[in-house]
Amino acid sequence: MGYDKPIPEPNADTSPFWDGCRRHQLRFQRCSDCGHIRFPASFLCPGCHSFDSQWIESIGRGKIYSFAIYHVAFDQAFKDSLPYVTAIVELAEGPRLLTNIVGCRPSDVRCDMPVEVVWDDTAAKFALPKFRPLP
Amino acid sequence: MPHHLRDKYAIVGVGYTPQGKIDGRTALSFHLQACANAINDAGVKRKDIDGLIIYRSFTPLLGEPEVTPYLVAQHLGISPKILSQEANCARGHLLHAIAFLEAGLCNYVLISYGDNALSGGRRFLSEATHGESFKDNAAFGEFGLVSNYAMAARRAMFEFQTGPDIWKEIAVSQRKWANLNPRAVMYDRGLTYADYLKAKWVVEPFRTYDTCLISDGGRAFIVTSLERAKDLKQTPALIMGFGSYHPSIDIHQSDYMAGPTGALESGKQALQMADITIDDITACEIYDCFTYTVEITLQDYGFFGPGEGKDWFSDGRIAPGGDLPVNTSGGLLSEAYFMGLTPLTEAVMQIMGRCGERQLGPKTATKEPEIVLVSDNGGVFQSHATMILRRL
Ligand SMILES: [Zn+2]
Repeated sequence: MGYDKPIPEPNADTSPFWDGCRRHQLRFQRCSDCGHIRFPASFLCPGCHSFDSQWIESIGRGKIYSFAIYHVAFDQAFKDSLPYVTAIVELAEGPRLLTNIVGCRPSDVRCDMPVEVVWDDTAAKFALPKFRPLP
Repeated sequence: MPHHLRDKYAIVGVGYTPQGKIDGRTALSFHLQACANAINDAGVKRKDIDGLIIYRSFTPLLGEPEVTPYLVAQHLGISPKILSQEANCARGHLLHAIAFLEAGLCNYVLISYGDNALSGGRRFLSEATHGESFKDNAAFGEFGLVSNYAMAARRAMFEFQTGPDIWKEIAVSQRKWANLNPRAVMYDRGLTYADYLKAKWVVEPFRTYDTCLISDGGRAFIVTSLERAKDLKQTPALIMGFGSYHPSIDIHQSDYMAGPTGALESGKQALQMADITIDDITACEIYDCFTYTVEITLQDYGFFGPGEGKDWFSDGRIAPGGDLPVNTSGGLLSEAYFMGLTPLTEAVMQIMGRCGERQLGPKTATKEPEIVLVSDNGGVFQSHATMILRRL
């Protein structure tokens, strides 16, 4: 049986982000005018309304803003993964994103815990940026 | 909202339907029953309804067509001047209704919600994304609102040491109200602290009893001017204050999970318009998708400071017989889930004095419901409104 979990659905705004993930690069847009670093990907800088931006690569480190522990499988594909942790990680560059915390027991996860990105390549077509506690 | 609109408009009728698990019914049928009952309850002539606003259309279930405002109007046998359908639920609908009335576009606005969510198996997963791709989130195993609010609650545990000890007070107190309300889905089911604490985690830190119901059914209400209200059947519930504030930021980028949410600004606006202070409020009907939502909303309104909830909620303050009754129908946790219409219509019925065993006042050893504060919240703290209603 192949990978049966849902996979991301890139669109014209978000595909540069997911393309970067495939190369194990966690990338965000930096506004060419005011320097604001934004996520999720967008056509427009919410800070200054500039249309111009460059993609920059994150150092892949940050801290856990908050997290939740799934004890029930809302999709049967996640049944064998229970319990698992969904979290919001705040990257050093500023953006926050949804991810999973791996590499430790769910009961050891804490808010503000420092973490680093680790790539999950189990989905054939996508790499998912997940995070593990920094040693 | 501007001060000159204080006490100018009123809610004059409420329409109920059977609620809970009601098999064999379309979503449309719940809208129609709620609307017809609201029209009858108010004593408005059907042909005088010149505004109809219905809650946003979810993906239809059970092979039914989409419920549009046209469809509801057609089946009600009305042809209004204003038809509207949008996502912002009672918080947006009531404000829009007042704007239509104030602009002279309408005289009587009917607002309705209906869904066969429970019998149709709606799980509020894809419905619950607010701007992000459902699949991008599902790739990480995140599904819907339970975990979004659980994350918010977790951050609050970290920032001001709240937790299940406080949330169990909310779940148990609201259940006590539901036990006085024959319409409530949980009317004949008690809930103890022990029941709460031994329930399994759904998405930690939330247990079953932290999460709202999913219900079949509908609810509707009618808004008009105080002048017109005087000719109708019911004692009107006057709209004394209204505030709204929509931070709009998706939970995944939010930095206000532990407050202040939109409730802070929205609450200030409403109190200012009503020209009262928080101490004048005699009861609250708070949008309670989750227990934590009740805590953070009351905290942001200023009933207590961050971390003071533990003391504030103790001694049954929000339960029957308490100092500040909250969610007197049982709310979304224990009555039925009809979006922001559950809390709003309960405030109206309390002010009208039509709540039977759960009626505020001597019957429940509480203050008379002179001024009732209602909240509505949408997305994951992305949108908030505060409505202050009072007796004539
Ligand atoms: Zn910019």
